[in-house]
Amino acid sequence: MKPLPARLLKLVLVVAALGALYLLAVRGHAERDALRQAAVELTPDCRAKLSDYALRAGERYRSPYLLKTTGRTRDLHGYDDEDVRAIQRGCNIFDDLQGYLAKGGPRERWYANRFVRGTQTTCTHCHRGVGDRQDAAGNRLVGTNSMGASWVMADMYDRFTGLLLSHEWRQMQCYINSSNGFKPNIADDVIRDVTAYSRFLAAALDLKIGNRYPEQGIDEISASATLRRGDDYVRGAFVYRQKCATCHGPQALGTVGQDRVLYPALAGPNAFSLDSRMNFAKVHSVMPGFICRNMPPGKESSLDNQECRDIAFYLSTLPRPAGDMQGPLAAAWQQLMMIVMPPLTRYAESLPGNGDPHDTAEAR
Amino acid sequence: MMHSRAAKSPRIFVALRSNLLVGLTLAVVTLPQAIAFSTTLAGLPPHFGIYAAIWGVLFTALLNPSRVFSGGPNTTMSAAIGVTLLPVAPPFGADYIGLALTLILLAGLIQMLFVLIRPLGRALDLISEPIINGLICGIGLFLIFKSLTSFAGLPLNTEVEWPLWIAWQSLRAVLEFGNLYAIQIGLITLVTCLVARQIDLLRNWAILIGVCAGTAYSAYLNETVGLQNTLVEQIGNLSSVGVVFPSLPVFNQEALSDIISIVPGAITLALLGLFQTVAAMRRMNRKIGGYTDSRKGIFADAVSNCLLPFLSSLPTCASFNRMWLVHSMGGQSRLTSAISALFLLLMVLFFAKVIAIIPMPTMAAVIMVLGANMINWEDVKPHFRSKHEATVFLASFLSVLFLDLFEAVLVGSALAIAYSKWEQAHPNISLRGNVLKIRGNLYYGSLPVIESIYHGALERGQDVVIDFSECHYIDREGIRWLAALKQKTSFVDRRGGEDRREVAKAPRERSGGKRRRGQDRRRRSDI
Repeated sequence: MKPLPARLLKLVLVVAALGALYLLAVRGHAERDALRQAAVELTPDCRAKLSDYALRAGERYRSPYLLKTTGRTRDLHGYDDEDVRAIQRGCNIFDDLQGYLAKGGPRERWYANRFVRGTQTTCTHCHRGVGDRQDAAGNRLVGTNSMGASWVMADMYDRFTGLLLSHEWRQMQCYINSSNGFKPNIADDVIRDVTAYSRFLAAALDLKIGNRYPEQGIDEISASATLRRGDDYVRGAFVYRQKCATCHGPQALGTVGQDRVLYPALAGPNAFSLDSRMNFAKVHSVMPGFICRNMPPGKESSLDNQECRDIAFYLSTLPRPAGDMQGPLAAAWQQLMMIVMPPLTRYAESLPGNGDPHDTAEAR
Repeated sequence: MMHSRAAKSPRIFVALRSNLLVGLTLAVVTLPQAIAFSTTLAGLPPHFGIYAAIWGVLFTALLNPSRVFSGGPNTTMSAAIGVTLLPVAPPFGADYIGLALTLILLAGLIQMLFVLIRPLGRALDLISEPIINGLICGIGLFLIFKSLTSFAGLPLNTEVEWPLWIAWQSLRAVLEFGNLYAIQIGLITLVTCLVARQIDLLRNWAILIGVCAGTAYSAYLNETVGLQNTLVEQIGNLSSVGVVFPSLPVFNQEALSDIISIVPGAITLALLGLFQTVAAMRRMNRKIGGYTDSRKGIFADAVSNCLLPFLSSLPTCASFNRMWLVHSMGGQSRLTSAISALFLLLMVLFFAKVIAIIPMPTMAAVIMVLGANMINWEDVKPHFRSKHEATVFLASFLSVLFLDLFEAVLVGSALAIAYSKWEQAHPNISLRGNVLKIRGNLYYGSLPVIESIYHGALERGQDVVIDFSECHYIDREGIRWLAALKQKTSFVDRRGGEDRREVAKAPRERSGGKRRRGQDRRRRSDI
């Protein structure tokens, strides 16, 4: 056994370290509390969305959407100031997870960027229209991953694992699979605020708990929904270049400008992982359905089912991060591919006759 | 006759009294650990750990003839259960418990293979100390990270993998939004444990004292602030726990896909248990100077782990710390372990209400202390004196932190074999003058190395003398090579050491290899 002074010194050092950690914890908690009490500056889309739904503190809440679509109104339990701020922060996280539009940066988004690996990911890329997309007449659109409809399916059975998943758990899964990131702790404000926002959407849209609404998920487009010509990634690449590459870039690496993500990456380090259901290689891939329902913006439903499957197939051949469950070897291989393939593809496309899709079309 | 019996009975009485005291200490020390392992690590109700500390200890005491062997619940095995089952089912649920029992039974059956197939059991002896220490240190560090969320009263993070990144994020979560009351309770437990460990008299009781302090502070908070405000989780009601809690592992068509998916976890669990039992018995044998065949430990583990899933219990394996405690307190027979099991049963039956109010952050703090205990610099220091050992230790240590447990066990096993083969394949060969001295083994793996040096010397036009005096083993391929050499070479048996003495007498002759070889040939016939 060591002499007493040495033992005492060790003890004092350990206790001092624990004390310092406690002080850090007190400081961290105070900072979070201050942020919870602070007024929220909304992103432009959130400002429009929440003002449309007349979110304000009060005893009662009446949904303008319900009035507009059905002509009747209903008094619901109201929100206090703290609830309103949580909903606003949730909307902000949804619209701008990385904090590009916030003065305080990621801090105002509860550092949600810690939980995604890429620099472009935000929820609204897949959950269209800040989690609630409608046409001009106020009809909620199918295949837009509505968060309000998702909330009313709180405690949903996961059809793959058979587990009963709460809304919070599904958010955590989303961080891992679709966002190629890590699970936040279920008690984190990131999860709590997004849940508050989803719950508010359900109230504003007058969705009933336990119901399944078609806008909740994305309908899969199976091979039987096509003319059965077979999926073809070469054809997919051709259609992609014609209709998608202008926004998402020739190699689907996304477009960033004016300090914000204009069009998200569909491949490369900032895209979803191989484990995501957005990846066409997954059995129940939602990518073809997502493309058909949401792309290209303004001309939705202009692509036929086979084209959507082909584009999804092509995108799945591009290098992207491996899923967490696939192990270090797959991760290393995908990293290598993400470094090597873009310059190689650029070079190949620069060769005469390879780059311009119209050349290819003529050649055919 | 009468006289001798009268003289004997006080000795028996003294031995029984001493065993009673050691048994009580062992029971009191094991209880908080058992609860912490099941609730914080394995994701199972507290009675699983308690029954492991009762039935696991009793079975292993009955099945293993060693006087100091002590089984019972184990940190690493409990963590392996949690890690294997978290992706399959939600913890504490009925499906989870059923699968946990199946997992333990599978591990027991796999361990039974190590008993029945003798070479498999023998293979465990090939796992070297640096590898086991690397695994233990890595798991110790992992346990500290893993307890962070429970320490701060946060929900269990259901991560499948254990990268250091998750540990870092958990620490940030603790610092930013952990429950401050829970953190205070955890800190009080930790600091009390650490202080008690510095006092020799209280050293063995440190964890119990820490648990008492944490629980007392939690009770104080509940009294002053109210449980509805502190929101600190407690162990819960144990009053339904009786002497036996029968259970059945799940084995039906519906669960088959889950059962298949947990087979790698079962192999990990089995190997982790066996590694620790073999390592603990090996270390204990060396410390106390006796010898008990580690196969007996493997047998005790395997049989116990096949029975325990039917008694709602965690799996068992040897614990060096508890064995050392029993030995240092003078526990001299298997009776000590049996008495400890009995005491524990009585405690659970009569003090369930007290155990129920132990807060979870206190349990997490206990796991942290035990995790820190697993990282013992005194055990690790010798490995850093050799480059090979340090490499193997670090590889095994890091593989726990960067890969999952199953892969860490595989890396450890592969390294163990590679390490011993590498050592054998690289005999220490020195060429001084024209004398090629081989220290180590001459076999197919080492031949290329020896050949390259031998032929290098021949190409320089030297007449080479090969000295086999420190060569321990020659395999058939080595003999064939030597037989081929025999066409051009002469062999001399120097085991008598005569010529060595000759050389010592006439050192000048050493420089003239050719001449000495000639002398050898004159003295001895070829072999």
